[in-house]
Amino acid sequence: MPIRFANVHKSFGAKEVLRGVSLTIEDGECFFIVGASGVGKSVLIKHLVGLLRPDAGDVFLDEEEVSRLSEHALRPIRKRCAMVFQSSTLFDSMTCAENVALPLRKHRGLGAADALVEARRRLAGVRMEGFADALPAALGDGLRKRVAIARALTLEPEVVLFDEPTTSLDPVSARRTDQLIARLCRDDGVTAVVVSHDLSSIFGIADRIAMLYKGGVRFLGTPEEFRACDDPVVRQFVRGEAEGPMEV
Amino acid sequence: MSTAEPGWALPAILGRRTLALLSQLGGLALLARDLGRAARPEAGGLDRVELVRHLHRMGVRSVPVIAATAAFTGGIMVLQAAPFVEQFGAKDFVGFFATFVTFRELGPLLIGLIFNGRVGANNTAELATMVVTEQVDGLRALAIDPVSYLVLPRVVAMTLTMVALVLVGDAVALLGALGVAQVLLDVSLAQFLDSALSRLETWDLLVGLVKALLFGLGISLTSCFHGLRVRGGAPGVGRAVNASVVASAAGIFVADYLSTFLLP
Amino acid sequence: MATAFPSPGSLAALRFQLRELVKLTRRTLEMAVAPRRGGRAARRAFAEQMHLVGNRSMPFMIVTMAFIGAIISFQTALQSQEILPDLSQVGATFTKLLVRDLAASVGALPLATRVGAGIAAELGSMVVTEQVDALRMNNADPVETLVLPRFVACVVMGTVVLVVGGFVAFGAGVLVGQVAFGIEARTFASTALLNGGDVALGLAKCATYGGAIALVSSERGLSAFGGSEGVGRATTEAVVGSCFTIIVLNVLLSTGGHFLLPAL
Repeated sequence: MPIRFANVHKSFGAKEVLRGVSLTIEDGECFFIVGASGVGKSVLIKHLVGLLRPDAGDVFLDEEEVSRLSEHALRPIRKRCAMVFQSSTLFDSMTCAENVALPLRKHRGLGAADALVEARRRLAGVRMEGFADALPAALGDGLRKRVAIARALTLEPEVVLFDEPTTSLDPVSARRTDQLIARLCRDDGVTAVVVSHDLSSIFGIADRIAMLYKGGVRFLGTPEEFRACDDPVVRQFVRGEAEGPMEV
Repeated sequence: MSTAEPGWALPAILGRRTLALLSQLGGLALLARDLGRAARPEAGGLDRVELVRHLHRMGVRSVPVIAATAAFTGGIMVLQAAPFVEQFGAKDFVGFFATFVTFRELGPLLIGLIFNGRVGANNTAELATMVVTEQVDGLRALAIDPVSYLVLPRVVAMTLTMVALVLVGDAVALLGALGVAQVLLDVSLAQFLDSALSRLETWDLLVGLVKALLFGLGISLTSCFHGLRVRGGAPGVGRAVNASVVASAAGIFVADYLSTFLLP
Repeated sequence: MATAFPSPGSLAALRFQLRELVKLTRRTLEMAVAPRRGGRAARRAFAEQMHLVGNRSMPFMIVTMAFIGAIISFQTALQSQEILPDLSQVGATFTKLLVRDLAASVGALPLATRVGAGIAAELGSMVVTEQVDALRMNNADPVETLVLPRFVACVVMGTVVLVVGGFVAFGAGVLVGQVAFGIEARTFASTALLNGGDVALGLAKCATYGGAIALVSSERGLSAFGGSEGVGRATTEAVVGSCFTIIVLNVLLSTGGHFLLPAL
């Protein structure tokens, strides 16, 4: 399911966040969208599932124009295209198992009890079976993220959007999350779109990288090209330097 | 000093208030329309699991507060009637007076206000927190309609709960009134019950329940509306709760007034 | 710890909250009786709170009280038709009921919703954003700088708002008597049954309820914890707690009034 952003513009009030972003993401790719904090990476991927609408430009998913669909018509898209939020967005009134069971109950037509059994099996897939009955508030960021990933994967989506999956995780949890994403692409043929500024993830698992800067795409290419790029802004980002031409 | 500013001139304030009120009413109407759509089975229908959870949380756990309120209300009604009972020697009317006013007016009104403070405010806070922490977006990303999954079970649960609580409250208020009448006015149990049962009609009870239904519907819609419309992060949650509670309270009085006149 | 005000199943929590409330009440009253000399900042805090409780609540309370007056008048007239041969006494009865109890007791509930929710939300967000801790680090006593101005404002302006509201309710009642029952306004607006005790009891209720709203809501706000959700919870508990406290105080004051300031 190829994804195409065509000249997407988006402003919040007077603040222009996206000023004409054009990108194509191929099937089965592990695609990273990188850039400084607040540059609009999350904003961009939220357009893909219709959580945000562009002010101008179009977003295509499999040649279907997502940006024009109604909330109702977006439902089938959202079943094929899952999202793992930066804040995990687990429902805090439910246990982890109930969180994962919800989409099963709603979309697979499972009864409440069957959905819970299946949810435990899914949690085992991310090594979280021991926390099935815990409330999300009782877990740390890394564990919550794993539950969120299990929940996003319940409907066997073709595309998974990850919004900063490794931010605020310890290095070990972060690499495990990277592994999980890489396995999804390699073994299950899932297209992963990852928003990140974690250099270890970027150079660890990305197939291609797009760097956003000042509302547009500043760089597009493979990790090797990214490392070797002689654009001073890109070089400053790759090296993580405090001084340089980059403006926030 | 501030009257010099154009924004604080009386017409400007009135205009702003009117616009705010209209936008709120419009938003409520839109939410009610969406609810109608969400109730259809192809849109997801009513989520039973959520409904049961809310019925327990909103209904069962509100019973102690509501019962205490109702007992005091019944007592207060007799206390207020006391001087007139003594003046006109109308002991035979105490039972009727206390139950009539409690069933038709004060029961639904007071229980509505307490329900608004407890359940309505809580509901707004919960939904607003879900919006602020992107849980509602999370729901949409799972292709689940927030109106059918979050709002519909809440509205149904709150409306049913409100009616049930008023029924419970009526019974408890009757006991409270009975106790005070006996102790303070020396009205016997038989005299009280006879007075209430012979003059009270089923319709008086029904009027109270219809009011409860209206209040429950109003509180639930208002609190969901304000919760989902929250702006401005965590501080916005407090503001949303405040706005919701005040709007519901005003709505309760207006609805009470209208139904008092329309339901003779 | 984190339970709704008169919490089911957790009497210990309720007892703890009551003890905290009594402690806060004692400290606030001590300060109110023997205030330290405050500077300009303190005077401004008092003025600000007075404005908030008085002026800002006035429109909401006027609208609400108009509806309350209309409802009470309607019901009183309806009741009297059952007991009395003619309607000449309705106005006097209505006035007495309004002054002695209902203006204060029913009006205090929307006031509690509006003012109590505001106080708890404001103090609660100050606590969770550690502003109260910052105050204490600067050797400013939160009770003196935050609670006392709110308490005084609620006692003074709460009484003012409720008295104004009482007059509005009276006006609305006279109107309903005229329009719905054809009772001449001059006959209806009668103070024949009113005595000094009624006025004293009514004013005492206004002031007591005002103070109770401030204390209950401040206590809940200051004990908020856990981010925006905690603020929402504190707001809920403040509204329910204030309403419930008002109803309990009403029973106490009405019973006391029945013996000390007899109606006849």
